[in-house]
Amino acid sequence: MGKRKQRLLRALGRSAEGVLRGLEEAADRPKQLDYFIEVMRAAYVDDCLAERLELNEPRPKVVGIYCVMAPEELVYAAGAIPLRLCGGSHEASCAGDELAPRDACPVVKSALGSTALGAPSLYELCDVVVVPTTCDAKRKMGEELAQHTEVWVLDVPHVKESEGARRQWLEELHGFKRDLERLTGNRIKRRALKEAIAMLGRAQHQARRLYQLRQAPVPVVRGNEAALALHAFAFDRADRWTEAMTRLNDELEDRVRHQQSPQGAQIPRLMLAGAPSIFPNWKLPNLIEEMGGALVTDESCVGDRYLYDPVGAVENTMEDMMVALGSRYLMPCTCPSFAPNDDRLFRLRQAVEDFQLDGVLYLVLKGCVIYDFELQRVEKLMRELGLPVLRIETDYNPEDVEQLRTRVEAFIEMIQENIQQEGGA
Amino acid sequence: MRVTRLRWLVLAVCFVLLTFGGRMGVHLGSYLPTFACYFTGFDSYGGACFLAPLQFALAAGSVDGLLKALLYVVIAILLIIPLGSAWCGWVCPFAFVQDVLDLIRRKLGLGYLRFPEGLREGLRPVKWVFLFIMLLLPLWAAFPILVPSVARHLNIPFCELCPVRYIMPMLTGRASYMGVDLENATTIILSGLGVFFAILTLVLSLFKRRFWCAYCPMVLVLSFFRRISLPKLKKDVQKCTRCEICYNVCPMDVEQVFKEREKENVTFPDCVLCLACIEHCPEDDALRATWAGKTFFRSTRKGFSRRRKIGVDSSKK
Repeated sequence: MGKRKQRLLRALGRSAEGVLRGLEEAADRPKQLDYFIEVMRAAYVDDCLAERLELNEPRPKVVGIYCVMAPEELVYAAGAIPLRLCGGSHEASCAGDELAPRDACPVVKSALGSTALGAPSLYELCDVVVVPTTCDAKRKMGEELAQHTEVWVLDVPHVKESEGARRQWLEELHGFKRDLERLTGNRIKRRALKEAIAMLGRAQHQARRLYQLRQAPVPVVRGNEAALALHAFAFDRADRWTEAMTRLNDELEDRVRHQQSPQGAQIPRLMLAGAPSIFPNWKLPNLIEEMGGALVTDESCVGDRYLYDPVGAVENTMEDMMVALGSRYLMPCTCPSFAPNDDRLFRLRQAVEDFQLDGVLYLVLKGCVIYDFELQRVEKLMRELGLPVLRIETDYNPEDVEQLRTRVEAFIEMIQENIQQEGGA
Repeated sequence: MRVTRLRWLVLAVCFVLLTFGGRMGVHLGSYLPTFACYFTGFDSYGGACFLAPLQFALAAGSVDGLLKALLYVVIAILLIIPLGSAWCGWVCPFAFVQDVLDLIRRKLGLGYLRFPEGLREGLRPVKWVFLFIMLLLPLWAAFPILVPSVARHLNIPFCELCPVRYIMPMLTGRASYMGVDLENATTIILSGLGVFFAILTLVLSLFKRRFWCAYCPMVLVLSFFRRISLPKLKKDVQKCTRCEICYNVCPMDVEQVFKEREKENVTFPDCVLCLACIEHCPEDDALRATWAGKTFFRSTRKGFSRRRKIGVDSSKK
């Protein structure tokens, strides 16, 4: 093992452990959260995901996936294991600095750094990685990754509405299916795909349950905890994750019933919009909760949006299931790499209503032009709905935490005052 | 699957009643705005399509005939108002035949065919053509000013072309209708086309869901009343995630429902109110069906999961 790799592993482990410890220190955390903490610990701290996933001989193929457009149903149906690789580590992004232009976003830098050095080693575990052509950075990242590993580029259309784009996307998925069959040597049969859709359907159902539980008038789980639980899906087998999530939801349901809350009713309810906070970059989720806000939802592709939509297959013929997968992984996605992306504004409007939001923090990861582009539209929408928006531009560097803390604190205080005034009036 | 099952039940009962009801003493007359074929025979059908008698009445060419035609139209409208396009989705015996063929396809594990938008757009005028044939040619037969030798044989021109007229009578043992009428050039052309349409419909219904309905003039006639008929399909555009499931489950390939971003009423002209979209919509209250303004069926995520036997929440005590 190279020295650089060892150094990176150690540094990664330290900062990831810091986040996980922080969560464990909250005595009022849900008991069932510990499972998800352990998943993340295995992935980033103990670096032992292969053992945790029990990749016994004959070792199943592992398919690394970026973004949220590659149907994991197909991966499971082929008998392979999917891992989600979008990077959130500051240390890895530093290692990736030399591999990407200065203005590239930290997600891409982190993924490049982790792939180049093979740390955490889950990046080395992947027999192939799938890179959907979402934003410019991800697309070019795919090209760079190809120096280190086999890369399949999944051509995602950027205009969802046109019939031609959707037909091409379906073709693309058929190609993805054939590639998976070639990789694993297993033909994807109708029954296997049906079962995979049902298995992920159960996961999506639990994710949606959590989504609904977090709409309770008194928050029953902290945002940095819920986001971690959802994120853990990236590094776990879907069925195990679903079992753990079912237990967590059951516990939270009990909390709703007994009106237990780590936070209380008067707390400002916030959304973390914009670019995703990817583990271990837990800067903003932690700050929001520490500074007296309740992070009740986000629109992150490793968070609330990750498993929100279900697959609507009805006939369970191969063609019908492929069409349903094509729809699921393209149409409801509100990633700003799509244009036009009015769908996102509709989703945000609905979230404001569902979660009774008081304010929106808008994360712009340095270099993420597309989320920044849409900020204006989101600000306009929120003005219309009477919600304050705080734009925060940052990367994974922990140095600006204190600075951000002041801003987040002031933002939450302002909202608190508004709430009190309204309550008094 | 509850609504789908219910719809299958209703369709099957209607199929039996309307096609064979006459043999069991059911006589609803031939006033129905649905494709229960008149040519299954007076002794067999329990109720039949009003288009055949309407054409006969028009072709009679007398004041009496025109009044009779008016009567048929008025009765049809009175029947359309309470059920709207549900006549197509829930009652039509030929819809049942097509759905059975569709079921066979599914059981064979074959995917469905979806025509590209361009082709669908191009074929859209077909049902208008059928409608004009149905309304205008009988009048020509009644007043044969031009080419009377042709006009004479145009009493029921649409029925001569209608594939249902060749398929349904076979089920009641009137197989003699299936074939080309060789009496003269006009009948050869009309019945030749009819037989062709019938074969085409039978074959393509195996691959394309509700193949015939896209060209059926009855769907068109019913769609004229979609604003005033009582059942409606409604959408909450904010709750919709545009996941496209409603389009994929729609046997009529109605795309506008998921694309709509403004209007609440999404009872589009091709909608047959089968309610499959509501059944499979995963968003709470994004789609619902109303009757006279009252909601009687709404989409829920719970329902979506339950239909897939997912997540009967474990903790429920």
